[in-house]
Amino acid sequence: MDKLHLDQHISQQFNIELEEIRSKVLAMGGLVEHQVSNGLTALLECDGDLGRQVATADFEVNNLEVGIDEDCIQILARRQPAASDLRLIVTVIKVITDLERIGDEAEKMGRFASELADTNQQVAYRKELRHLGGLVKSMLRDALDAFARLDVDAAIKIAARDEDINAEYNTLSRLLASHLMEDPRNVSALLKITWCARALERIGDHSVNICEYVVYLVKGRDIRHTSFDQIQAEFSTKKF
Amino acid sequence: MIDVNNSPGASGSEPSNDTSATRKNTTELVKATLARRYAAEKRFRFYGIFAIAASLLFLAVLLTSIFIKGLPAFTATKVQLEVTLDTELLGIDATANEDAIRAANYAAVIKKAMRERFPDATKRKQKKELDRLMSTGAEYDIARRVQENPNLLGQTVTLWLQADDELDALIKSGVDLTKPDAISTRMSDQQIAWANQFKETGEVKTGFNTAFFTNGDSREPEQAGIRAALTGSAFTLLVTFLLSFPIAVAAAIYLEEFAPQNRWTDIIEVNINNLAAVPSIVFGLLGLAVFINFMHLPRSAPIVGGLVLSLMTLPTIIIASRASLKAVPPSIREAATGLGASPQQVVWHHVLPLAMPGILTGTIIGLAQALGETAPLLMIGMVAFIVDIPTSITDASTVLPVQVFLWADSPERAFVERTSAAIIVLLGFLVAMNAVAVLLRKKFERRW
Amino acid sequence: MVDKALNDTHQSAFDAIKETVGEFTVADPKMRTKNVDVFYGDKQAIFDVSLDIGNNEVIAMIGPSGCGKSTFLRCLNRMNDTIPTCRVSGSMSLEGEDLYGPNLDPVLLRARVGMVFQKPNPFAKSIYDNVAYGPRIHGLSNNRAELDDIVIGSLKKAGLYDEVKDRLEAPGTSLSGGQQQRLCIARTIAVSPEVILMDEPCSALDPIATARIEELIDELRENYAIAIVTHSMQQAARVSQRTAYFHLGKLVEVGETNHIFTNPSHELTENYITGRFG
Repeated sequence: MDKLHLDQHISQQFNIELEEIRSKVLAMGGLVEHQVSNGLTALLECDGDLGRQVATADFEVNNLEVGIDEDCIQILARRQPAASDLRLIVTVIKVITDLERIGDEAEKMGRFASELADTNQQVAYRKELRHLGGLVKSMLRDALDAFARLDVDAAIKIAARDEDINAEYNTLSRLLASHLMEDPRNVSALLKITWCARALERIGDHSVNICEYVVYLVKGRDIRHTSFDQIQAEFSTKKF
Repeated sequence: MIDVNNSPGASGSEPSNDTSATRKNTTELVKATLARRYAAEKRFRFYGIFAIAASLLFLAVLLTSIFIKGLPAFTATKVQLEVTLDTELLGIDATANEDAIRAANYAAVIKKAMRERFPDATKRKQKKELDRLMSTGAEYDIARRVQENPNLLGQTVTLWLQADDELDALIKSGVDLTKPDAISTRMSDQQIAWANQFKETGEVKTGFNTAFFTNGDSREPEQAGIRAALTGSAFTLLVTFLLSFPIAVAAAIYLEEFAPQNRWTDIIEVNINNLAAVPSIVFGLLGLAVFINFMHLPRSAPIVGGLVLSLMTLPTIIIASRASLKAVPPSIREAATGLGASPQQVVWHHVLPLAMPGILTGTIIGLAQALGETAPLLMIGMVAFIVDIPTSITDASTVLPVQVFLWADSPERAFVERTSAAIIVLLGFLVAMNAVAVLLRKKFERRW
Repeated sequence: MVDKALNDTHQSAFDAIKETVGEFTVADPKMRTKNVDVFYGDKQAIFDVSLDIGNNEVIAMIGPSGCGKSTFLRCLNRMNDTIPTCRVSGSMSLEGEDLYGPNLDPVLLRARVGMVFQKPNPFAKSIYDNVAYGPRIHGLSNNRAELDDIVIGSLKKAGLYDEVKDRLEAPGTSLSGGQQQRLCIARTIAVSPEVILMDEPCSALDPIATARIEELIDELRENYAIAIVTHSMQQAARVSQRTAYFHLGKLVEVGETNHIFTNPSHELTENYITGRFG
């Protein structure tokens, strides 16, 4: 985060507070990443215990979110941050909301994994799920990385990878739809698989959001609801 | 660049021990010095109280001695005498005009009345001593009465007449007149015996000395008054005020508000301050050389005195006025300028009214100083013996402090008390002027 | 040695400010300044500042102490004339008329460009006379009734009338600090100026009085162009449409307040408004 010069405030205490928030967000990101990874593993390995563990561990994510939220409100109220500090706080508030949602999706996956394992139902489309999950995991990791390094170029590129995830998800849902029609006996298991695929896709969307926040944080421009080409055009020509 | 991670840690645990140790140490050190510091303060307070007490004591001694010496001068002794206004003795008749009445020989009438009162005075020396009991002022008393009522001529009337200063002092001193040896006076034993007779028969009384406030100077102490000096002082101060106030205020405003800040204004400022420190006698010399010898203004006149005192008062008023103009906050000037007031409007509408109390105080203090000034007036001849009350600023006159100076030179005991009395009057005026200054300041107290 | 090093960093920081970032002109300027330099004796206080003040806008000038923002503000109605050593060069105009030209006397200029000062400074007169003073010296009213109208109207515009209508003869100094400052604003608008300059108008006031003044500034914007110098960045953010950041006598950046306070373009601006050492 050297670009934001968090260590250069005249108020040392402010420096410390901002640094604390930043490391808490990164810790939360690590935890969420871990949860997603475990949820996916539980699903693919039919590991009911791991699934339950993921589901119960979600409260840690929630606690972190509440804690960071509180810190941000304190800073807003007491320091009235402006410019980059303001953008950092706003970004953090948004990032942790998305992280919390990702945590919820991971919890969902863990729960379905444990249910599938408990009922000894077979997990179909494991290969496709593994592929989708791999894409989503790497995207989330890279997005968090871009946030940690405030890397705008990387963030824009990472956001573009959502297309691949969506395509993968669409393929998978088509497969699941046709399977459902052919084999109505496995409806409950297949629906759970569908939900998990959906969860993975949502995690991808949240990762895109995080990337967009990174751009806002660094460039002060809100690029949500803007096409990728436009963004590329703008940030490649303009040099800050 | 400050290292966030290290700096708080590095100065974290160890220094806290350090500070608590220092704190304990500080407490002890402060405690150790406390007694000494309070003692020093006590000592200082004592010096202050002592200084004030000493000055109050001196003031009290001074005032007491002046009042003890001066108060008797505010009363005068009168003697009751049966006077026969014999036209032959007076040398006039009922048809006499006013000048003749004034010039009539009242002394003879009084002498005759005295001899009738004390028939035992037969020797020439005794007769002379008897005559000296009455003041020459008694003649003017009778003359005035006759002027008012010419019908008195030829009649015998009982009058209260002014006593001589020696008799006056003897009566006022309240000593036992039956033991002439114990009395220190220039009067003879015979005179004291007569005085005793007057006293025992109630033919003397002591009343308020109006002559002191209505007469001019005189060789006879019982007739000497401060009227001429008071009027002279008033005229002189009037001239001083009319000249110095407008000039000084104008100069102060120009220097403070309009003059450019350069070497010339610096020189002028330094010189004004120097002028305030010039010994007043030098102004007297200047007045003598310029106003009297060169401009041929009348000698001993309030106009010259006023001019000289103006020169002396000007720097005082200018300095006081500049100080009080400076004390007007610049925000008021800015406010008026910001509204579009011209520099002159700023001064007249805002700065001057706010500075006025200070200027007036300075003026009054300057005038009070002028009122008490003697030396320069000696130089321009206001030290004359003035019997007539001046009626204009070109008449010869004297002023109160010079009158004090003159009387202080006279050997008669009655002049000593008159000197003190004149000082009391002078002090009264000075106190009154300072009181006015205080009142003005209170009334127009800064209201911004 | 240390001083030398300090001077060098100061000098390099000074040299680093090249051109003003952002658009310093507006489409319909009320006042226009171009390449203004101000000197106090040999010392230059303002370096090549160009800045427009638009109609019906509040422009805030911010910057560290001694950055020249107050000096610049005071040039706009020639209050600096009272300082003998002050010298101004460059072009400054009000509605196209040169401020330092022969057609615009300083007295007339100050009637058209009013000023409100840091410390509330009512005259030692009644509330009524405080407001009536400007119209009186400029002869803006023909009779007492007209003057009454101006005074009451100005007090109403300044949001003070309801609080003082029963005691117009009371001395202006008897009011509270916030009321005094509104009285000073009423006094300024009584002359019907076109531009109002405010030099830290709230620095001596408590937050509630400050909020009232800020509300008043917002209302006054409809009829006047307002330039305000402030040390409170929050205040600049609240009341202004455009913000100009001064540093070391130079105009570093000027732009929409929205932009300046969320995403300033110049690093120095960023450092200043976020409280960093630059």
